[in-house]
Amino acid sequence: MSNFAISAQHLARSFGETHALVDVSLDIPAGSVCALLGRNGAGKTTTVRILTTLLDPDDGHAQVAGFDIASQADRVRERIGVTGQTATMDELLTGHENLEIIGRFSHLGAAVSRQRADELLQQFDLVDAGRMLVKKYSGGMRRRLDLAASLIANPEVLFLDEPTTGLDPVARSEMWVAIRNLVARGTTVLLTTQYLDEADQLADTIVVVDRGLVVAEGTPEQLKASIGRPSVVVTLVDADPAALLKVRTALGADAVIRGRSVSAPAADGLESLAKVVTLLEELGVPIHEVGLEHPSLDEVFSAVTHRIGDHSPVAPAEIPA
Amino acid sequence: MSAIATPRQSSVQRGLIDAYNATRRYLIRGKRQPDIIFGSVLFPVIFVVLFGYVFGSSISVPGGNYHSYLMSGLFAQSTLFASSQVAVAVATDMNEGVIDRFKTLPIARSSILIGRSISTIVLGLPALGVMILCALAVGWRPENGIFDAILGFLLIEVFAFALSWLGILAGLIAKSSQAADVISSIPVFLLGFVSNVFVDTSKMPVWLRVFADWNPVSAVVAAGRNLFGNTIGPPPAGVWSLEHPEITTIGLALIIIVVFIPICVRRYSRTSR
Repeated sequence: MSNFAISAQHLARSFGETHALVDVSLDIPAGSVCALLGRNGAGKTTTVRILTTLLDPDDGHAQVAGFDIASQADRVRERIGVTGQTATMDELLTGHENLEIIGRFSHLGAAVSRQRADELLQQFDLVDAGRMLVKKYSGGMRRRLDLAASLIANPEVLFLDEPTTGLDPVARSEMWVAIRNLVARGTTVLLTTQYLDEADQLADTIVVVDRGLVVAEGTPEQLKASIGRPSVVVTLVDADPAALLKVRTALGADAVIRGRSVSAPAADGLESLAKVVTLLEELGVPIHEVGLEHPSLDEVFSAVTHRIGDHSPVAPAEIPA
Repeated sequence: MSAIATPRQSSVQRGLIDAYNATRRYLIRGKRQPDIIFGSVLFPVIFVVLFGYVFGSSISVPGGNYHSYLMSGLFAQSTLFASSQVAVAVATDMNEGVIDRFKTLPIARSSILIGRSISTIVLGLPALGVMILCALAVGWRPENGIFDAILGFLLIEVFAFALSWLGILAGLIAKSSQAADVISSIPVFLLGFVSNVFVDTSKMPVWLRVFADWNPVSAVVAAGRNLFGNTIGPPPAGVWSLEHPEITTIGLALIIIVVFIPICVRRYSRTSR
């Protein structure tokens, strides 16, 4: 058994002519949070469905919590929690009943299931809602209940498929807090998201998928570093053209003026910044702010997902000649 | 962090517990949908009035009371409608995310479907009760005594359980609940009406009569009439299933159960695979 809570090798899956997954491999260390980042239809949900035993891959294999998803599916199911993209709670049952039934189906027994349901309702701030039918829940409450349900048997590995899609900002940050608390307790989490800030906020590692392929992976910092160096940005107190020109000349040939700022590549990171600060002292121009700016994950994302541009294996909108 | 320790149980034990929990879930849901129960109770009442009085006034059966004759037919026919409702309910279930969640839990694959089928029988009991009251009100009597009558209803319920699996399969195959409604309604109407449920088959044209006589629903109706003591005249000559309706009903139910439960469970496991 490896130290990876999730390990997948060359997963592939097609639906008719649509190649949802072409080749996806993952190695997620136990106790870490991995974000699968990608646009709609990139293959995120298909990956999660395969890893949670809902879908068989056409090709490739995977182990979750040390067990093979194909030959030991029930062992895997005993060790995972899943929160799907669509609400998976029964509208005609109360929150408490929903949690209890999941506990019973996890073979915790009736008494323990009820006790776990009480604990989780408290943990997710749903105590009053526990006796209410789920159809009366708000979107945020449903997601929290859904997350609570996937925790009922204390899973080793938790799958969260777009846990905050469609939530308002308040509900979203509440979800983030809930997820962070889980991680603090050592659960391995694989979450999918189309939001870069969500991946940046929650994940130790990010795997960017596009059209069924892994196009980039690493820590958020590594990804940002991979597509370019940081730049030094000098912002003046006001947009005085003479001063701006003076700064630009001082910063070298690659410097550009943007509004009342001048930015230049900082090849040596902090060292470059220090040099610039010394230079500016000599110039005596009124400075508002000097700083290092890293490329955003947004830029990384568009860089890596455009790289394979038109070589798309899937072209649903195309009309065959 | 490890999974909460669970007492070791055999897979059969676990399967039974899973099926019990699934049934319990469907019963709770059923209780929360009084409108559906109300509808299922109202439907047979309408049928008794419609066929007992609206059409029944012009229908006569040789040498017998039509209301007594009709009621065994309606008891049997109600199992057909129930199986059609199961088809729609299962198709609706399959389009809900909650089934996906159940599939990621370590439960026996058969449990959700078993729960659906058993709960259908249980939730149908109020309707059966109301139907029996209607029957008694219009003059139907269990002429062979209470013991045979209970046996008759047991037979009908066993058949209903078997039929529910055909409904489940239709629901699993259908892409939507509307499709399930269409797929299941056609056989329900054909088998329910081209039969001895409402009329004596002897006056039908030959080709229709052969179908109606050999129609398994006719055997169930005949079994009911035998046990309730409402049979009029001898069975049509040469039709084995009507000469031995009780054996036919039980045999057919068992065959459906043995063949279709595994098919349904496989289909259920593969719906998204």
